[in-house]
Amino acid sequence: MTTVPVVAPAALQTHVQLPETAQVGHKRNKPLVIVSYGLMLIVVVIYAYPLLFLINTALKSNTEFLVNPTGLVRSPQLGNFGSAWQQGSFGSYVLNSVLYTLVAAGLGTVMSLMIGFPVARGYVKHPRVWQGLFAAMLFLPNTLVTVFQLALRLGLYDTPLGYILIMASGVGVGPLLVTGYLSSIPREIDEAAAMDGAGYLRYMFTFLPRLMAPVLSTTFILQAIGVWNDIILATILFPTQAKWPVTLGLFAFKGTYTSQWSLLSAATLIVAAPLLVAYLFLQRYLVASVVGGAVKG
Amino acid sequence: MRNYIVFGRRSTAQLTFALGISLVVVFSLVPAVGILVISFTDIRSLPYLATHWIGLQNYQTFFSAAQIGYNLAALRNTFVFAIAVTVFQNLLALLIAVLLNQRLRGRNVARAVVFLPTILGVTVIGLIFSLIFNPSAGPAARVWAAFGASSAFFGDPKLAMTLVIVVQVWSGIGVAVVIYLAGLQAIPTELYEVANIDGATAWQRLRFVTIPLLAPSVTANTLLCIIGSLQSYQLIYVLTGPINPATQVLSLAIFTQGFGGPQGGTVQSQGYAAAISMVQFVIVAIVSLAALAYLRKRETVL
Repeated sequence: MTTVPVVAPAALQTHVQLPETAQVGHKRNKPLVIVSYGLMLIVVVIYAYPLLFLINTALKSNTEFLVNPTGLVRSPQLGNFGSAWQQGSFGSYVLNSVLYTLVAAGLGTVMSLMIGFPVARGYVKHPRVWQGLFAAMLFLPNTLVTVFQLALRLGLYDTPLGYILIMASGVGVGPLLVTGYLSSIPREIDEAAAMDGAGYLRYMFTFLPRLMAPVLSTTFILQAIGVWNDIILATILFPTQAKWPVTLGLFAFKGTYTSQWSLLSAATLIVAAPLLVAYLFLQRYLVASVVGGAVKG
Repeated sequence: MRNYIVFGRRSTAQLTFALGISLVVVFSLVPAVGILVISFTDIRSLPYLATHWIGLQNYQTFFSAAQIGYNLAALRNTFVFAIAVTVFQNLLALLIAVLLNQRLRGRNVARAVVFLPTILGVTVIGLIFSLIFNPSAGPAARVWAAFGASSAFFGDPKLAMTLVIVVQVWSGIGVAVVIYLAGLQAIPTELYEVANIDGATAWQRLRFVTIPLLAPSVTANTLLCIIGSLQSYQLIYVLTGPINPATQVLSLAIFTQGFGGPQGGTVQSQGYAAAISMVQFVIVAIVSLAALAYLRKRETVL
């Protein structure tokens, strides 16, 4: 690997923060640092470029895109967002998605608590068996077909309720996260609360959420990401367009406006925007949640 | 574990537990067991058609002369996809993690950017890369043109699988990087100091200190990646559609057979789709257990 001239400015920056570079107790070797900055720059570009290119395209008028599809936008326009919003009726899709995500992830989190807490404490019989079942639930076969049949036969096909219930019951690692976290909360706290007259429900729904805020928010976030980004189950369960979540709306939009890339890019950004904003503010939480969930799994 | 309940009667606990678990059982466990059951039937996607018990016929169809070519191709695609994704995602994630574990300015921004696709979801990612690789006016087409070449990208049967793998690795690497970073930060710095005193080069430190001590993270990442990539098809569906033979993987075949597309002779037989689900389930189970056993053994050797 040779050093690249491009990284010179970055290398200058290291000079500024040099005072205490010896993190692992050895002198940093300069060429290596420069190479590192070069590599990091490459990584950042590989990840940032597609998104920046999307934004760039979304700001182009259709004519500008036709004349100059890959160059930097010359006369930025916000019109595409308005047109995409209207033509794709994203307003109602976004509302659907928000509803499905909040209710399904909320319900899933409450369910994880409701089944995880008594199992962790042995308030129901055979806690070991249930614990094993929670783990086994992570390795189930692909259930698309039976979920569809079940919805059909329960009259839940093409209903938001059915979609929400199915999405909510995909609790994944939720119960395991809850039981895992509860093992670090001493049982004496249960006893103290009971002594002070708190009932089971009150304890579970008002005391525990405060004690377990980190793990419950992890559970919620994990499930919310899954619901917001789902496309397959929605495709299977919703023949009626008015009930589609935003992912399906976007996918259909792509089918309709196949080559109108500036309009499509604007639509994509509309769908991505809530996620990007959430990521900006909740990044630490989101990263910890996804990774915590993955490792548990 | 003390099994008495501190909150008076046990029934409230049992009731709320039953309420929660029944939803999970109905919408998650029943469908899972149901897959095995209906794989022995000719159940269809329309409710008013009669369903018959047909024994192993769906499995025979899967291995029949008419279907085996298509299914073997799907199997091959599944393994190509899973192996390539697992290998490249892990190697690149390890390199990026080692890189971003150094004291570099802006490394937090870099970490955040690498992780971003994890939350973006397949539809958005699919559209972004359809744009980048759009054959007529995308930046990738520009690059190809600079070499005097042109390509249909996702429409090119020879290239489609490679591109799908690239996009999958791009979007999945964030989780692996963060897991590796956590593993790296758990390695005591004294070990590096000792290595330095012994005059180890950067490569030697990586090879003899970092990699062996990172073995548990390697196990976790590899396993996650194998299981995930053997079952994943959402991105493939969004990028190349449900019936593209070049990228047909087993889990996509389940979707296609069950819900759409004029594939094969058993149109819309969801029993047949369920049989494919079971075949896939067995494959995932065998491969992941074998991988787990191998990786655990390796952990102790290193």
